[in-house]
Amino acid sequence: MSARTRLFKELKESARNKEATGIELVPDESNIFQWRALIKGPTDTPFEGGTFELAISVPEQYPLVAPAVKYRTKIFHPNVHWKTGEICLDILKNAWSPAWTLHSVCQAILALMSDPAADSPLNCDAGNLLRAGDIRGYNSMARMLTAEHAMSEGMSQG
Amino acid sequence: MSDAMEVEEGQQAPQQEEKKGKGKATGKRFEIKKWNAVAMWSWAICTDTCAICRNNLYEPSIEYQANPTGDADHPGLSIAWGTCGHVFHLDCIQRWLKTRSACPLCNREWEFSKIERIVGGNANE
Repeated sequence: MSARTRLFKELKESARNKEATGIELVPDESNIFQWRALIKGPTDTPFEGGTFELAISVPEQYPLVAPAVKYRTKIFHPNVHWKTGEICLDILKNAWSPAWTLHSVCQAILALMSDPAADSPLNCDAGNLLRAGDIRGYNSMARMLTAEHAMSEGMSQG
Repeated sequence: MSDAMEVEEGQQAPQQEEKKGKGKATGKRFEIKKWNAVAMWSWAICTDTCAICRNNLYEPSIEYQANPTGDADHPGLSIAWGTCGHVFHLDCIQRWLKTRSACPLCNREWEFSKIERIVGGNANE
């Protein structure tokens, strides 16, 4: 009951700071518990120039329970599962706090894109490149796949 | 000596007239007939918003607004301070503490330092 009211508040707020942050948050037309976010790949990362879509599923007990967030756009990143788009991020799991909002969660995901944590990889190929110190290999692989999946108009979903 | 006095008077006179003239031209602009003193109060807190429900801390929690009981003792009509200094609606923080006993804002171990009733809430008191 209160989750719905809080989500409507967040909807109003996100509309206000959409321009400033480059995060576009849109709820499903008929279901306020299903959201879609479009985030821009951060500058100075191999994801720069790409637009990534996130699917956000908000539980009834929100904000006491974290929303489920995953990438709909394919991304080559050590903490994102290549096939499912699942994200390994502490604040979405045991470090969740009700003070987070959908908008600040998206900001945290942007921060993760800039600072990958290679020690807890969901994508071992990406993790191994970073752990081996092959920054160049990681960057070029991620950049190529960003161009392939997150840039062109006719990008295929899945 | 007396000459000097005369001169001084002569110099001052026109100045005084000028001042009087100005006063007359503008006249009395305002007259205070009555005034009321107004006192304001606020909690000594760093934010006005409950980080859990995002409602103002001077109004009831979202949960209470959704289900107003009229019971003045409802925890949605009180706000609670932690020893860390952060403030939330009592019912909001109580529900969160069942998940984890840490402040949602600073992650420190939560301990209540005080609880106050929101004055002027929707309670029928």
